[in-house]
Amino acid sequence: MFDKVLIANRGEIAVRIIRACRELGLKTVAVFSDVDRQALHVRFADEAYYLGSPPARESYLRGDRIIEIALKSGAGAIHPGYGFLAERADFAQACIDAGLAFIGPKPSAIAAMGDKAIARATVSAAGVPVVPGTAGEGALSNDELLAIAPTIGFPLLAKATAGGGGKGMREVRNIEEMPRLLNAARREAEAAFGDGNVYLEKLLEEARHIEFQILADNQGNVIHLGERECSLQRRHQKILEETPSPFIADDQEFRQQMGEVAVRAAKAVGYVNAGTIEFLVDKDKRYYFLEMNTRLQVEHPITEAVTNVDIVKEQIRIARGRSLNYTQEDISQHGWAIECRINAEDPYENFLPSTGRISHILLPTGPGVRVDTGVYPGFTISPYYDSLISKLIVHGKTRAEAILRMRRALEEYKITGVRTNIPFHQMLMNSHRFMAGQYDTRFIEDRFSFNSVNIDKSSDADIAAILATLVAHQQIQRSTHIIRRGKRDTSNWKWVGRWERMHR
Amino acid sequence: MKYISTVIESEYIIEILDEKHLSINGEVHTIDFEEVDGQPVFSLILDGKSYEAFVYFEEGEWKVMLHGTLYPVLVEDEREKRLRQAYGGGVTQTSEYHLKAPMPGMVVSIPVEEGQQINKGDALLILESMKMQNELRSPRSGKVTRIRVEPGDHVEKKQTLLSVE
Repeated sequence: MFDKVLIANRGEIAVRIIRACRELGLKTVAVFSDVDRQALHVRFADEAYYLGSPPARESYLRGDRIIEIALKSGAGAIHPGYGFLAERADFAQACIDAGLAFIGPKPSAIAAMGDKAIARATVSAAGVPVVPGTAGEGALSNDELLAIAPTIGFPLLAKATAGGGGKGMREVRNIEEMPRLLNAARREAEAAFGDGNVYLEKLLEEARHIEFQILADNQGNVIHLGERECSLQRRHQKILEETPSPFIADDQEFRQQMGEVAVRAAKAVGYVNAGTIEFLVDKDKRYYFLEMNTRLQVEHPITEAVTNVDIVKEQIRIARGRSLNYTQEDISQHGWAIECRINAEDPYENFLPSTGRISHILLPTGPGVRVDTGVYPGFTISPYYDSLISKLIVHGKTRAEAILRMRRALEEYKITGVRTNIPFHQMLMNSHRFMAGQYDTRFIEDRFSFNSVNIDKSSDADIAAILATLVAHQQIQRSTHIIRRGKRDTSNWKWVGRWERMHR
Repeated sequence: MKYISTVIESEYIIEILDEKHLSINGEVHTIDFEEVDGQPVFSLILDGKSYEAFVYFEEGEWKVMLHGTLYPVLVEDEREKRLRQAYGGGVTQTSEYHLKAPMPGMVVSIPVEEGQQINKGDALLILESMKMQNELRSPRSGKVTRIRVEPGDHVEKKQTLLSVE
């Protein structure tokens, strides 16, 4: 049994895991790259060791060094967090080979779920429906795809085998346009990933992305903690999650049915520890297995809020060989939770990532508000890692209370120094379709235009005019007093230099 | 001091009367205006109503972030406004536009070539940063004159990538 855990990650998730360890009385070991020497996870951990230079492949992806550090520091377990090494079967195996506990599933389960063909075959054998298509059937020619297409049915999607992020993806409405679109998808896939292979997948219209949280122990107990609605995505990146799903709402029978199917999918690969089964759900409540994430999810806190289960602590408990603290009957959802992912990106500049030093943060607090973050004022956001700087989670008695609470929390949240997507979330919270819970996976891209703010209707334009004028006025006043000693906006040396040049 | 401040199409005539009073379109209000220490955050109490906003200057105008909405505000005194109107209000488009890297990153691809005619809003360069690919678009129509980087190059913030004439 281990009493010291190495966290092979950074940012908010490393901090989240350190907190769980602290509360369990476990010692923690952090690892860091050059740019993370002052990061919060390094400051919070009991021990910290240098990994390498900033690019992930030279630091947070160096599994060999991480295992070496774990052995040297006497850590008995490694928690991979999400991203980086979390879904690498070879790393999980290397941990076990080194005599370390890997806080996650068995390498065999990671490998099975990581391979699309094996995952689809395994779960459909267990009676779990999968999205109709040719995923995992290998490299098929245009002729073969054209022959299969009518059996799947139109509309369908041609997707890059090596792909992700919407690249090499085409929507196909009929067989006539299919050859042209297949070639376009192949070209794009070839350019983006160096692999022109594509597969077909039935296009589900008005589809929602709903996932179920799974917990499984070594004693064979598998439970689910209900669903998370993750349909709000931008460029295939989740941006806001909520639980329960407003689509499932109070249809307990549907929830139970999907939950049981999720449990069955996890059992099909002998799953242990925390994991997530992702489904696509169409408007007629038909659902299809999409994939399994064999790790802790970014959005796990909303499930923690409504179920009162600390998922990270359960993960550690499972890795220590103990059985789950809960049975399925113990689990129920209380109230409603929403998470907004706060990213360092500028919504007014096409969501361009924003880097730089955070000069100030005012955190939202008060009833029902939780913030998971890895940054603080004075910390510099570097371009090396993803742009998630914090997660704002609120919990309310009802969905309406949760939305109102999120609105006030977003209004309180002030971050200066870098641009964030907080205004985007504020606009989303005011959208009628979001309030009504009527959205699907394409809502943000198809129906929600961030730039079309109708300022004319707003009554605050006059206030904005006054504020800008007062600030401008203040600046003019200051610049006229600039010669006053100590009030100059540049350093004295610079000022002397300029003065000398002027009199040369 | 009298200012003419424009938010999109609406014009406000704002006169700062003294430390505690201003008039907007002739109507006098009591103000209590403070800068929250060392931040671009400002607190305004206007006739008892309290507002807090980010206010910063960017690309020739003031930006006011208030209740989740970003307002662009042009603040001018009468002389500036007259000058602007005399020049037709338009910014001259003859000078070159230099596309600068908004953040450090790696050039993924450059979908344009030197000499190519482009329209406002066309993608000029794809830059990867924070594991995301970002399209940098042209703010105006014109001709691509000089491309200074190649796909695969690592670029620093504010480095000039290419120019449009």
